[in-house]
Amino acid sequence: MFGKGLLQGLGITFKRMVGPNITEFYPEEKPKLPTRVRSSMGLDKSKCISCNMCAMACPNGVIKLTSEKDENNKKMLKSYQMDVGRCLFCGLCVEACPTKALTVTQEYENAVYEPDELKWDMIKRAERKGKVG
Amino acid sequence: MSIEKTEELILNMGPQHPSMHGLFRMVVHLEGEKITKLEPKIGYLHRGIEKLAESRTYAQFIPYTDRLDYLASPHNNWAYVQTVEKLMGLVIPERAEYLRVIFGELARIASHQVCIASTALDMAGWSAWSYAFRDRERILDMYEMTAGSRLTVNIMRIGGISAEPPAEFWPALKAFLDDTPEMIEEYNGIFFGNEIAQGRMKNVGILSKELAENLSITGPVLRASGVNYDVRKAEPYSIYDRFDFKVPVRTGCDSYDRTIIRLDEIVESIKIIKQAMRDIPEGPIMTKVPKVIKPPAGEVYHRVENPKGELGFYIVSDGTTKPARVRIRPATFINLQMLPIVALGWKIQDVIAIFATLDAVLGEVDK
Amino acid sequence: MDALNNVFVNIAHAIRGLFPDPTSVWANLTMDVINFIIVVVIVVLAALILILLERKIAGWTSQRTGPNRLGPRGWFQTIADALKLMGKEDVTPAGADKFIFKIAPMIIFSLPMMTLAVIPYGKGMAPLDLDLGIFYFVAISSISTLAFVMAGWGSNNKYSLLGAMRAVAQMVSYEIPLLFSLLGVVMITQSFNLGAIVEAQGSIPFIILQPLAFVIFIIAGMAELNRAPFDLVEADQEVVAGPFTEYTGLRWGLFFLGEYGNMTAMSALGATVFLGGWQGPGFLPGYVWFFMKVGVIIFFMMWARWTFPRIRIDHLMHLAWKVLLPLSLLNILLTGLGIYIYRLVMGG
Repeated sequence: MFGKGLLQGLGITFKRMVGPNITEFYPEEKPKLPTRVRSSMGLDKSKCISCNMCAMACPNGVIKLTSEKDENNKKMLKSYQMDVGRCLFCGLCVEACPTKALTVTQEYENAVYEPDELKWDMIKRAERKGKVG
Repeated sequence: MSIEKTEELILNMGPQHPSMHGLFRMVVHLEGEKITKLEPKIGYLHRGIEKLAESRTYAQFIPYTDRLDYLASPHNNWAYVQTVEKLMGLVIPERAEYLRVIFGELARIASHQVCIASTALDMAGWSAWSYAFRDRERILDMYEMTAGSRLTVNIMRIGGISAEPPAEFWPALKAFLDDTPEMIEEYNGIFFGNEIAQGRMKNVGILSKELAENLSITGPVLRASGVNYDVRKAEPYSIYDRFDFKVPVRTGCDSYDRTIIRLDEIVESIKIIKQAMRDIPEGPIMTKVPKVIKPPAGEVYHRVENPKGELGFYIVSDGTTKPARVRIRPATFINLQMLPIVALGWKIQDVIAIFATLDAVLGEVDK
Repeated sequence: MDALNNVFVNIAHAIRGLFPDPTSVWANLTMDVINFIIVVVIVVLAALILILLERKIAGWTSQRTGPNRLGPRGWFQTIADALKLMGKEDVTPAGADKFIFKIAPMIIFSLPMMTLAVIPYGKGMAPLDLDLGIFYFVAISSISTLAFVMAGWGSNNKYSLLGAMRAVAQMVSYEIPLLFSLLGVVMITQSFNLGAIVEAQGSIPFIILQPLAFVIFIIAGMAELNRAPFDLVEADQEVVAGPFTEYTGLRWGLFFLGEYGNMTAMSALGATVFLGGWQGPGFLPGYVWFFMKVGVIIFFMMWARWTFPRIRIDHLMHLAWKVLLPLSLLNILLTGLGIYIYRLVMGG
C-alpha cells in the first residue's frame, strides 16, 4: 500500500529515539586516542644524532635543526624548531628517523591564540612537566 | 494573446551555500522555478597541486595526493604509488597487496556512505545523514589505529604500505563486517524505501547511455546508465583479478539509480573485504626500495577505480629525484560536464538532487 | 478534583465580584485584559518550550543528547538564545521596502495570539467564546500567507522571492482540504462553536467517527505550518532560508516564535475538534488533559519532521488538489450519508 515506506521510516526513528545515546561529553570525558595518532610530535633529545633525515623527508620544510660538534667530535643537537603552522601532520619525518628520537604523541589540544606560538621549540616542549614531548 | 511579461531570473547559487558540496558555484537562469540554462563555475579550491609536484620528491608528494579526493584518500595514494611503481618496475609483496585492497575497499564504503548521506541531507532527510555518518565513524576509527589519521591517511608508500595494522584492527574489522546487514537495512528503511524520496529521485535527471559514453563519464554515474565498465574488471590492477565480485549495473539512468547503485557497491566491497581477510598471507609489507628514489626517464599513465570514477595519474620523469610533470585525471571534473546538459528543464530542487548524486568532491575538481 | 477543575473559573468569578457591578463595562474590560495577558503568556511559553523540545527530539532521533549545558538538562537554552538574538545587530538590506520588511514579523507573531483566544482550555475556560469559532480560526490563520509574501518581497533578495512564491502556492492550496476536513465535524454537531464541539464529544471523540478527516487535517495542517516534509518555503538547501534570509536578530526570533505559536494553535484546534478537548477520565483536571493531547499532536509533527525528506513542489500541488481535495469531499459525502441513515434508524 502507499505509505509503507513512510511508516517504516517512522518506526526506525522511533526505535532510535528511545534507544541509547552515543554522545561523548567532551570537556568532562576526554577520549583516549590510539597510540599511532599523528596529532602532535615529540622529541627525545638523548636519542637524536642530528642526522637531518627528518628535515629532508618533510614535504614542506617544517623542521629546522642546528647541531654542534663537542669534544669527541660527535654531533650534539643544539636547537630543533618545528613550524607547526606549515605542517601537514603526515608523519614522514617520524618514519625517517633512524633512532626513533622523533615520535608521535597523542596530544590534540594544540590550539593557540597567537600565530607566533605555532613555532614549537621541541627541546623546550620536551621539558614541560608531566607531558611527553 | 498573452499580456504577461515575465522576466528571466538569474540566480547565483554561490560558493557559500548550505548545500554545495564544497566551494562550487552555479549560475542558473530560471523561468519561474524551471531551469533554462546552468553554468557551473569552478576554481574556488584550486591549490596548485600539480605544480607543487614538480618541486617535491616522489616520496614527499604522497601526503599531497591525500588532499585531492579527501573523502576516499587511500585510493588517491594508491593510484599515485602504483604509477611510480609501474615506472620503476617494482613488485610488491603479497601481504602488502592484500592490505592495500582491504584499505581501499573500506575507503570505498566510507565514501559511498558520505554520498548517500549528503544526498539525503540535500532533501532534508536529517536522520539518514546522521545514521550514515555514525556508521562511517567505525571505519575512520580503523584508519586511526593503523595509520594515525582519520581523513588524510597517507597509508601507502612506494613499495608497500606504511605500517602493519595493530592487533586490535582485525577484531574491529570483523565486528564492523558483522554489523553491515543491519546497516544496509536501516539505510533502505529510512531513505531508499521512503516514497517521498523515491518521488524526488525517480525519473529525474535522465542521463542517457549515449550521452554518458560521449562525455567520458566513469564510475557509478556511468554504471547507473546501463554501461558495464569498471576499471577493476576492464584492466585489473593490483590483485583484483583474484577476487570474485560482481559489478553492479542499473539501467534506470535517473537519480534514484545513481544513488542506490552505491548501496549495491557497498555490498560488493564487503564481499571483497571478506575474501581478502580469509586469504591474506603472512610476510613483509614493504619491498626493497632504494633510499633515494630515482625512476628511469620516461612517462607512464596508470588508472584505478576511485569511488567516484576513474582516477588516473600521468607522470613524466626525467631521471632525477623530482618528477618533471604530474597530471591528474580527476574523476569528478569530467563527470561534472553532464550537469549543464542534464539539468535543463528541471526545477531548482531537482538540480540540487542531481548534483548530489554526482557526488562531486571539489578537492578533486579543482586540485 | 472538582475544585482543581474549576480553579480558573472560580478565580475569574472572584475578580469579577470585586467590581460593584459584575456586568459593567469596566469588569468586562478588566477580564478581557487578563485574558489577553494569559493568551500571550501561553504563546510565549509554548514557543519557549517547543523550541527546546524540537532540538531535544532532533538529538534523540540521531542518538545524541541535544542541548544540555544551560540550566537543568538544558531547559534554559531558549532563554539564552532569545537573549543572544536581542543582542545582535539589526541589519536592513539596502533597497528593501522598509515598512513591509519591518512589519512582517510582527504580523506573524500576532496571529497565534488571535487564534489561541477561541480555544476552550477547560470547561468554560475559553478566553473568547465565539459562536463562529472554527470559521474565525481558519480565517485568521490564513493571514500568515500574506506575512510570508511581505517578508519575501520586502527583502529585495531573489532567494526570498522564490521562497515567498512557494509560500503562496503552498499555503493557499492547502487551506481548502484543511477547511473541508473540519466541515464533517461541523455537520455532525450543527455548530461552529468550539465549546459546543467539545461537549458533543462526550461519548466518543470524533477521531473515531471521522478518521479520514483527521488524517487529512494532520497533513494539511503540517503543510499550512511549513513543517517538514512540506517545508519548501524555508528549505535550507535550496533557497537558503527563503523569506527569512535577510532577517537578523530579534526579527528572525519573532518569525520563529510565530512558527511555533502557530504550531501550538493548529495542534490545539486538532485536539479540540478531533480528540475531545478537555474531556478525559476524572483523575486529572481538564486543562491537563487538553495540554497532553496537544503535546501528542506536536510530538507527532516533530517526529515526522526529523524522519521524512522534503517533498517536491509539483508533488505538493498534486497532493493538495488531486488527492486531498477529492478525499475530503468524499468524507463530507460519507458524513452526510451517515447522518441521514442515523436519523432514519433512530426514528425521525
